[in-house]
Amino acid sequence: MADVAGVPVTAEVATRVANSIGPAFEGFAAIAGTLPFDLEPASFVVVQTAKDSKKVSK
Amino acid sequence: MSTEPALLSLTEVAQAIAQKRISSREATKSCLDRIAQWQPRLNAFMAIEADEALAAADAADAALAKGSARGALHGVPLAHKDMYYDAGKVVTCGSKIRRDFVATSTATALQRLKDAGTVRLGSLQMVEFAYGPTGHNAHHGAVHNPWGLDHITGGSSSGSGSAVAARLTFAALGSDTGGSIRMPAHFCGVTGLKTTWGRISRAGAMPLSQSLDTVGPLARTAEDCALLLGLMAGSDPLDLTASPEPVPHYMAAAQQPIKGLKIGVPTAFYIDDLDPEVARILDETLAVLRREGAEIVQVELPDQRQLTAAAQLVVAVEAAAFHKRWLIERPQDYGQQVLMRLQNGLAIPGVSYLEALRWRGPALAAYLAAVANVDAVIAPVAPVAAPTLAESDVGNSPDAEAVIQRLTRFTRPINYLGVPALAIPSGFTKRGLPVGMQLIGRSFDEAMLLRIGAAFQRATDFHTLVPKPA
Repeated sequence: MADVAGVPVTAEVATRVANSIGPAFEGFAAIAGTLPFDLEPASFVVVQTAKDSKKVSK
Repeated sequence: MSTEPALLSLTEVAQAIAQKRISSREATKSCLDRIAQWQPRLNAFMAIEADEALAAADAADAALAKGSARGALHGVPLAHKDMYYDAGKVVTCGSKIRRDFVATSTATALQRLKDAGTVRLGSLQMVEFAYGPTGHNAHHGAVHNPWGLDHITGGSSSGSGSAVAARLTFAALGSDTGGSIRMPAHFCGVTGLKTTWGRISRAGAMPLSQSLDTVGPLARTAEDCALLLGLMAGSDPLDLTASPEPVPHYMAAAQQPIKGLKIGVPTAFYIDDLDPEVARILDETLAVLRREGAEIVQVELPDQRQLTAAAQLVVAVEAAAFHKRWLIERPQDYGQQVLMRLQNGLAIPGVSYLEALRWRGPALAAYLAAVANVDAVIAPVAPVAAPTLAESDVGNSPDAEAVIQRLTRFTRPINYLGVPALAIPSGFTKRGLPVGMQLIGRSFDEAMLLRIGAAFQRATDFHTLVPKPA
């Protein structure tokens, strides 16, 4: 993958990278591949600013 | 009022200067005297600009004498994390690569503080490119914790935490992508505000991960953070991700009592595997909040480990993308740990990265639903007080990522959700190390956190305690 990205790494580094990011993939495994077709990243800002989700102090 | 100006809070010193009870020069000289005393022990400053600061203070005093105050922080000396562009100044970003980089523009957040009248003391140390939670720096040396010089400050706003704790500056900008304001606040015993993503413009602030980066202050009190947030928040034509949401009167919010508010304590994750002293201080904090009239209730949150994992995928890819040119051209100029973490991002598929971003909306919606019946959530910032510099100097060793993840376990989920969190000094361990708790709020509801934090600080004195030189 690093080779494809244009930044080749040694086998030792590749092993270390795999060990480092492996837990992130494991932690996200239950979500990966389950998201609905039409879900956009920008839905985050929609939720963030939705007035009905707030109990904001004045 | 303290006789040493540097020991005043930001709010106090701003009022004292405005009312001509002390001069900007006296306040600036007091900070410079403490910097001279502490800097050899702490390594908190990247650059100290004593002559320029005194000249600017004299100019501020002269302007005030003519009845011309610039703003709410007229003549107040400050220093900030060395990642905020300040036109004409070297901004190292804690790195070797940018050791001689001279900014040609000024960060919007910094400009807004300048417009309020601040005086520049210099710049503060930080973790290389803000990518690390301990405060170690392979190029500029580790920053030391004023409460225990052989202990970490936390990072990446290491100099900000150390300098505010030692009263070398009245406040400091930090940045928080995975906990980089809250951890130094926790480990150093100061108040730190991680703002809602989009609350303060990121224009002219060094990027690490554009989806998670937030600008915010470290200061001595919640009231000080309220003052600073009010000056910096709001939309910005230079950063269209800076939200046009209205900016409330945060200082007024900080004066309100908390009687009748509901504060949620998570039933899991944030209370798991706590050091016994952190657990004790959490209980003591809850007792204070109850005495002030808040109702403490349990709250069941969605799986926070999934949020942490998603945050890791996002920050790793975005950081690697920002740094890719230097990863190709200058890999030897990174510290080992930062290089290792940047290389991690190269191995994450684009689809995984985008899935992590696409899930952010539903994840926030689920969180907001879970906290619908409380005004804020409270949790420890980290499961432990400050480790020693030696035991956390893991470099690029095989267990480095595990050590990093343990320290940032309670902060990363908040960045993924993009909600605000206020770290407040909440107690000390038997060895005299500070411990902080974080109040976690809804998007754009910093006012509630500042209200609760200020009420807690009116009832306690942890935020007023000052470390003594060893």
